[in-house]
Amino acid sequence: MSDKPKVAFFDFACCEGCQLQVANLEEDIIKLLDLVDLVEFREVMTGSTSETYDIAFIEGSITRKSDEKRLKDIRERSKLLVAYGQCAVNGGINRLKNIWHSMDDVKKCVYGDDSYMPHLDTYPTKGVDEVVKVDLYIPGCPINRDEFLRMVKELSLGKIPRLPNHPVCVECKLKENICLFDKGVICLGPLARAGCGAICPSNGSPCEACRGTVDNPNKNAMHEILDKYNYTVEEIKRTINLFGVNPEVKK
Amino acid sequence: MELLKISKKNFLSFVDKKMSEKKSRIVGVIQKGSHFVFDDLQSSKDLRLDYDVTILPPKKYFQPQKEVMLKFAPKNVESYVAVNSYDPITIFGIHYYDLAAIYLMDRAFSDGDGDEHYIKKRENSLLIGSYPQKHFKQRFSRSVVKDQYYKVADLMLVDMGDEYVIEVVSEKGKNYLKGSQLKKNTYSLKQVEEAKTHIKDDQKLPVTVDIASEFLTRNYYHSVWKYFGDKCFSCGSCVFVCPTCYCFDVCEEIDLTLAAGQRIKVWDGCMLENFAVVADGHNFRRDRADRFKHRTFRKVKYLPDRYRYFGCVGCGRCADACTADIAGPNKVFKYILEKQ
Repeated sequence: MSDKPKVAFFDFACCEGCQLQVANLEEDIIKLLDLVDLVEFREVMTGSTSETYDIAFIEGSITRKSDEKRLKDIRERSKLLVAYGQCAVNGGINRLKNIWHSMDDVKKCVYGDDSYMPHLDTYPTKGVDEVVKVDLYIPGCPINRDEFLRMVKELSLGKIPRLPNHPVCVECKLKENICLFDKGVICLGPLARAGCGAICPSNGSPCEACRGTVDNPNKNAMHEILDKYNYTVEEIKRTINLFGVNPEVKK
Repeated sequence: MELLKISKKNFLSFVDKKMSEKKSRIVGVIQKGSHFVFDDLQSSKDLRLDYDVTILPPKKYFQPQKEVMLKFAPKNVESYVAVNSYDPITIFGIHYYDLAAIYLMDRAFSDGDGDEHYIKKRENSLLIGSYPQKHFKQRFSRSVVKDQYYKVADLMLVDMGDEYVIEVVSEKGKNYLKGSQLKKNTYSLKQVEEAKTHIKDDQKLPVTVDIASEFLTRNYYHSVWKYFGDKCFSCGSCVFVCPTCYCFDVCEEIDLTLAAGQRIKVWDGCMLENFAVVADGHNFRRDRADRFKHRTFRKVKYLPDRYRYFGCVGCGRCADACTADIAGPNKVFKYILEKQ
């Protein structure tokens, strides 16, 4: 028997891009296997070698009744449950459908004439913590590999891993990037939670807050800025909530 | 102070010669897209002494964004090894206000026991300053910087058109010039002074260092802090681009074997929400307004109370970097004065 923690990976409604990030750790994945006992991970191995898990990593959002049953079952068999990737954290991109008033309209728009098929049944998207207790979150679309490794190392050392609570602007400044606002481009960097190394702005694309926001984003200030750039209320909302960030401001 | 002069052509050859000697790392201002940055020079042709302002100040060479302080193996005190790298560095084209900021950093990092990591890097540096040749709308350094920049500059370049007048400030600077094609200065002091100051600032800090401290104390409870605090993203851009902000965090990184790690120093700033979080999660500057006030007090009261110089050198970087357009310290004073 190994004294390494038993680790399993599961996916729900998602593109499986986050588990691909883990599978793509290259030589680090070998070192990672010295640290943990991988017992279930559909993308890289067949079957399962354990019924219980020390850490279960959950990817994807919850969009069907049957998902809830499966998730609750995993939760019961896991000591720690980690929601990793933005779909798991808050529903992510999948949550966009919740803006629509009727799920029938959503289904018709996506699946057309097949929308009535039973296997395409769906309800409004939930994040993992709307169904079961989540012990740790690793945000991002996709997750950042270095952050994932840091979390695993810190869990192995018995530390409580923490997420950065500063905006992406910090990482742009550290890299001495030219601010996209200087180029007239709207960027959600001032609201978005850092930890990605400002990868999008560093490559010329605005931040879309795929890691969600900092704990206390100043949405009022962002509304003011977007207003200054002549954005309509609808455009402002659409800009802010691509990754499930609620655009409403506290009065 | 000795004044010499050199043609611009010969000056560039001088820079190239220094690069080929490889006795120190050579850094200068180069163009990055529509902006300018301090970076390693590949050729004197890249040197842009006509820049307006750089995105980050040269503090990044003395207090890097991320710096390893020591390496260790967990649970083994014997394994701790201090790390400090301070290879010689020469920096060309630091504007006088950034030198004034380095003077302040030197004071701050030398107080008490001193910070070895910073001090060693500074001792191994040679600073060649200059005066702005291009207007920058956010700059107000003339109203806050006196002549403290001469306390850290080794040489100062004065742009006279086809030639530079070189102010030889330190002995180290004088030695650095050996072997270059220098001539005696033929310009009058008035001409040199005019060349140093002909680029004017649009803005100014409307208080002098003598009254600023008292002025802020009087306005500790003013509505200005909430007014600007409400607009603030707490994104930290103002403090990261600031040449006098030197706050840092210390953290530990461990490698995947869990058998080796390093202690690192990373930039941190008082405008970030978690900066003042202490044990048990208490945050003693939880509100944006408090953080905004603290930063202003730091620049215009606390540091001047201690060093008799403003903690702001008027470079205008914060105002330029601030998406909400609230960061320029002069804005606070303008607001208070207009409300009176």
